Amino acid sequence: MIAVIDYGMGNLRSVTKALEHVGADPVLTHDHADVRRADGIVLPGVGAMPRAMERVRGLQLDQLLRERVEAAVPLIGLCMGMQLLFESTTELGGAEGIGLLEGRVERLQAAKVPQIGWNEVSWRRESALTSGLPQPCAFYHANSFAPRPAHDRDVLGTADYEGEFVSVVERPPLYGLQSHPEKSGPDGLRLLKNFVCLVAAGRGPPRSDGSAQAAA
Amino acid sequence: MILLPAVDIRDGRAVRLRQGRFEEETVYADDPVQAARSFVEAGARFLHVVDLDGAREGEPVNLRHVQRISDELAVPVELGGGLRSIASIRRALAAGAVRVVLGTAAFTDPELLDEALTAFTSRILVGVDVRGGHVSVSGWTRETQVRGEDAIRRMQARGATRFVYTNVDRDGMLEGPDLEEVRRVSAAVRGRFLLSGGIGSLEDLIAVRDLRLLNLAGVISGKALYEGRFGVREGQAVLDARDP
Repeated sequence: MIAVIDYGMGNLRSVTKALEHVGADPVLTHDHADVRRADGIVLPGVGAMPRAMERVRGLQLDQLLRERVEAAVPLIGLCMGMQLLFESTTELGGAEGIGLLEGRVERLQAAKVPQIGWNEVSWRRESALTSGLPQPCAFYHANSFAPRPAHDRDVLGTADYEGEFVSVVERPPLYGLQSHPEKSGPDGLRLLKNFVCLVAAGRGPPRSDGSAQAAA
Repeated sequence: MILLPAVDIRDGRAVRLRQGRFEEETVYADDPVQAARSFVEAGARFLHVVDLDGAREGEPVNLRHVQRISDELAVPVELGGGLRSIASIRRALAAGAVRVVLGTAAFTDPELLDEALTAFTSRILVGVDVRGGHVSVSGWTRETQVRGEDAIRRMQARGATRFVYTNVDRDGMLEGPDLEEVRRVSAAVRGRFLLSGGIGSLEDLIAVRDLRLLNLAGVISGKALYEGRFGVREGQAVLDARDP
């Protein structure tokens, strides 16, 4: 079972539909018992990260998600859900994130935000998450902010919007997409399917730098 | 450049009008989700949805269908038709539209346009529907005295940067766009625009592509796709082959 974390920020039906489409059994929930039972976790999100973080903290999901990631459960953050994985944001005067990845979320350095539309993501390396996807690969983006990971090794894909920004991050079992794979057509669905396969395999791939992210 | 199939909804069905005339309607699907799904399965990367009932009523009528399309299909959806208040724009976005097209409201209610651009920035497109050379509003029932390019300049002065330009006289006629007109529009638009109205064949898409207009972000096609003049995938391939 894949838990799609519902903390009251927006309609999540297109996310669950897309996951069903690629053969998963998503459950929309913020119930701790559900999340603990889940083989994989999807953290979606739209809107402002500080507000989202308030709700996440209010539901004590930050500690729970940290615990699950430490237990090597694959987790993918989508759009603003990906931003939540980082330490902090400058949005709305600034706020802390969950802090599973080091780095800060900052406003895109572009005249016109949010960017709304398809944008090509270039992969930095091969990954189980992007298996079968073209290089570069277009995804639908709708964002004003993007993370600046402190560690270059966490960056899996970048795109250009009046300057390079980080669109995909990976530190197994943690994954994050700044885009909306559930609105990115067959390639977006393929990426979700790859995530579902990682979940089914019961573990993320080994880290490239060989360090132990989590005890199995 | 993206090819956007158009899903126009009237009475809960997917229809096409000729030249924006409600009495000249063809029904293509009893369920707009079915029409949208077939476009997505054929390779569409974006859908242009029009609430025709909404355009006439002055407020959205078919949001339930927009929500279903957005929920069930893995592509972004933009919506136009009847969005004439901040509240209805909010409802459209909540239903899953990733951006909305303001037509009538942008012309008749400048304060609403200002407010919408401030609140929703690049989620706002301004629809410039031209009939007989002048901007047409209220579900194509009223013509203004404003020429299309002048309207674009006026909206840009208020901060609009994204436009949907439709030649209503050509809409549903499959006779191709007026390429000179498209050039003029492109010259007027400082941001980006989508072109709508008259696409009838792959040759039309090639002709538009070969204008090499850097600010033309996409082409909307309705009837030609429903009638099978070309497929979404081939149309998109033509637009993708912009270079060299």
